[in-house]
Amino acid sequence: MADNTIKLGEYIVIQKQNYKKLHKFNKPNSVVNIGKDAVNLKGIEGNRYFSIFKMIPHGTKRNKEYKLELAEETCSLKEEITLKASGADNRNIYDDGRSQKLSAVEIDELKFDSNKASDIVETIITNSTTFHNKTEFSQEKYLKKKEKKYFEYVQILKPNLRNISEIMYKLEPNKIQGIRLDTLSQIITLSNVSCEGNHLLYDSGSNGLLAAALLGAMGSQANGKLVHMHPGNMSQKQALLAMNFETEQYNKCISVNVYSVLRQLYQGCDTNTVDKEDSTLKRKAVDDLEHDAKVSKLEDTENATSNVDIVNTGEENKLPSPKKPKWHFDNIAASEVLSNKVDSLVVASKEDPQNIFLELLPFVKPGRPFVIYYTVAEPLQSLYITLKCLSNVAALKLTCNWMRNYQILPERTHPEVMMNSSSGFLLTGYVLQ
Amino acid sequence: MSFRHYKEKIEEGDTVILYLSNHLHAIEVKPEIKNKKGELIENVYQTTFGALKVRNLIGSEYGSKVELSKGWGHVLQPTPELWSLTLPHRTQIIYTPDISMILLQLDLVPGCVVIEAGTGSGSLTHALIRRIRPHGHVYTFDFHDHRAMLAQEEFEAHGIADFVTAKHRDVLAEGFGEDLNGKADAVFLDLPSPWTGVKHAVAAMKKEGGRFCSFSPCIEQVQRTCLALQEHSFQDISTMEVLQTELKVSRRTIPVRDLSFLKHKSSNNPVEEKPSSEKNYIVGSWPATAPGHTGYLTVATLPPQYIRRKCKVDKDIMEDSKADSEVDQVADHENGKMCIEENP
Repeated sequence: MADNTIKLGEYIVIQKQNYKKLHKFNKPNSVVNIGKDAVNLKGIEGNRYFSIFKMIPHGTKRNKEYKLELAEETCSLKEEITLKASGADNRNIYDDGRSQKLSAVEIDELKFDSNKASDIVETIITNSTTFHNKTEFSQEKYLKKKEKKYFEYVQILKPNLRNISEIMYKLEPNKIQGIRLDTLSQIITLSNVSCEGNHLLYDSGSNGLLAAALLGAMGSQANGKLVHMHPGNMSQKQALLAMNFETEQYNKCISVNVYSVLRQLYQGCDTNTVDKEDSTLKRKAVDDLEHDAKVSKLEDTENATSNVDIVNTGEENKLPSPKKPKWHFDNIAASEVLSNKVDSLVVASKEDPQNIFLELLPFVKPGRPFVIYYTVAEPLQSLYITLKCLSNVAALKLTCNWMRNYQILPERTHPEVMMNSSSGFLLTGYVLQ
Repeated sequence: MSFRHYKEKIEEGDTVILYLSNHLHAIEVKPEIKNKKGELIENVYQTTFGALKVRNLIGSEYGSKVELSKGWGHVLQPTPELWSLTLPHRTQIIYTPDISMILLQLDLVPGCVVIEAGTGSGSLTHALIRRIRPHGHVYTFDFHDHRAMLAQEEFEAHGIADFVTAKHRDVLAEGFGEDLNGKADAVFLDLPSPWTGVKHAVAAMKKEGGRFCSFSPCIEQVQRTCLALQEHSFQDISTMEVLQTELKVSRRTIPVRDLSFLKHKSSNNPVEEKPSSEKNYIVGSWPATAPGHTGYLTVATLPPQYIRRKCKVDKDIMEDSKADSEVDQVADHENGKMCIEENP
C-alpha cells in the first residue's frame, strides 16, 4: 500500500476515457492496443500511479504508434474550445450529409498532421455549417463524443477488485460466469469473510475473480487460509494475480484440484494411481536426493527438518523427503484445513451446484454462512427444495440483483441508456448442526 | 461479545440470532433482566413458538437446535448481515445489497481507515468494521448525541469497540476534526446534504487520495453532490442504484389442458372438456411487491494530491486568505443552489 510507483512485473490498469484495460507490465517498452491505437508504454515505469500521459503519435501513417509523455493534467475539449453561438432547438438542422465541408480523407489527414485533439475538433467545428445552430447541450454532447474519439490521454491506475471486476465483466462476462459487481460484492459480505477464519471456495471458472475477492477481504494479516477448489488441472488465476498481492497474502490462497484434495482427505493420498505415482517418484528420487543435499546445505537445519515433517505427516510410507510437486503439499495443507472445518463456503460452479454443495457442506462449521452462485435460477431452485427437505440449513434465501447506472448532468439527469441486465442468482443460508 | 471472533459456544453477554421458520430475532444473552419495578427477574424471551429461557442458551453451540415451550428454533452467531435484519432501528438503515456495494466501491480491505457519517443505527458500521479489521479503523459520526452514545455502547457490548470510534458531531458544520486530516482511505456520507460535506471529505482523505461514496434517496441530492465532487477534482464520478429481489421458491402443480383430440372424431365421445393431466414444476416466483428504491449510491475517486487539478487546489488554499470575488462565487456554490448553475 505504501509503494505507489508503477513497477515492472505488476499488473496495471490503463484508463482512457471510460475505457479501462488490464495489462501485465512485463516489459518496459511493451506495446498495448487501446481501442484501435497501439500505445508504447515506454517511460511509465517508475512513475506514480494515477499519472496521466499524453499520447503522441509517431511512425508512419500505416503503422501509427503512440508514445507516452507524462502530462501535468488532462484538458477537456469543453474547456479548451470556446463555444460562441448556439441554437434553441434542432428545427433548422437537416441530416442532408452536407453539413461538414471537410471530406473524410481531409479529416484523416488532419488527424495525422495535428497533434492536439482540440485543434482537430476546432477545425471540424469551423467547417461545420450546423454546429452553431445546435443547442448548448447538444454541442456539449458533440464535444464529449469527439473527445472520446480524439482523446489523447491515458491514466495508469492501480488494479483493485473494483476495476478488475469491472474490466472483466465488460470484456467478457461469460468468462467470469456473468458475476456482476453488485453480485460479487454480496458474495463477499454474505460469506462473512474477514481477516479471521478459514474459507472454502469452489470455483469452476471465474478467472480467479472470486478467489481475488475473498482473499482481498481476508487481507494481508489474515490468520486463516482460503481453500480454492477447481475442477481442472490448473486453477484460473488471472484476477488473483492482477491484484498484485504480496507473496505472503497470495500464499494464503491454496488452489487445489477438487478430485485430488478430496482423495487426499478421504484416502490419504492424492492420486488414483498410487503405484504409478510411487514409481515415478522413486525414479526421480535419485536426482532429487542430490538436489536436496545441495539445498539443505544452503538452508538452515531448522527449515530442513520442518520440510521433512510436512512430508511425513502426509505420506508416511514414502521415502524420506522425496522431491514432490507443489500441488502435493497444497493438497495436504488444504485437506488439513478441511478436516478442521471452515468458516464459510462459496460455490460458483458451471456444473449442477447440488452435488458439489452437498459434498462440501460437511466441511463447514455449524452456524456459518454459505453462498451459492449460479447464472440461472433453476438449478438453485431445485437445490432450494432439496435443502428445505434436508432441513440442515437455516435462513435459506434465493435472490437476484438489479443494478442501474445514471447519467448525472445539470438538467439532463437520467438512467444510462444501456444497463447490464444479467447478474445471476444467489442462494444463501447458514449451516445448522 | 459475539461479533468479534468466530465462536463455537454461546457465552453470557453474547448477542445471538434466533432463527424460527424464516423469522430472525436478535437476543442478548443475559440470564436475568430488570422488570419495570427495577427488580431482577428471569429473562424469558417470548416467540410465536412459545417461551425461551435465555439462561438455557449459555453453553449451547452456535448452529444448534434450542427447545421452546411450543416448538424449537436454531441459534446462529450474528454476522453484520444477520444484524442488519434484526437490529433495533433508531433510524432508517442501509441493508446488505447497498452495504455490499458500498464496501466494494470504497475499495475497503483490512487495514483501511474509513469515515462514516451518520452512524444511524450502526447497520453499515458493523460491516465496515468487519472489513477493515484487524489493523484498520472506522470513525463514525452522528449529529444526534443520544444515537452516537447508543452506538458506542453497542460497539462495546459487541466487543468491537477497538476498531471503531463513535462520536457525536455535526460533521457538515464542523468537518471531521483536525485529528483526521489526511488520515482516511475512504469517506462515506449518508446525510441530508452530502454536497456540503465533500470539502470535509477532501480534507480528511490521505494525500495519496481515496474513495468517496454518498448514499442519497433523492436525485436532487445526487446532482448537487456530483457538482461538488467535480469542483473538488474528484474523478470517475458515477451514480448507481442496486436492488435485490428475493424469489419465493415452491413446487407447483399445473393442470394440462389437452385440445388435440378435437381434431378427430373420437369413438369415446363425449370427452370431458376439462384439464386432462398435471405437470410438476419447481418455480421461483417474483414477489407482488418488492422494494423499488432505497437510495442512489454516488461514488468517486479523489486522485493523489500531486495530480489534483491545479486550479482547484489553488482555490482550496485561497479559501482561508481573503480571496477575490471569483472564489467567493465558488464558495457560494458549495452552500447549495448549484444544481442549475453551470460554470459561466
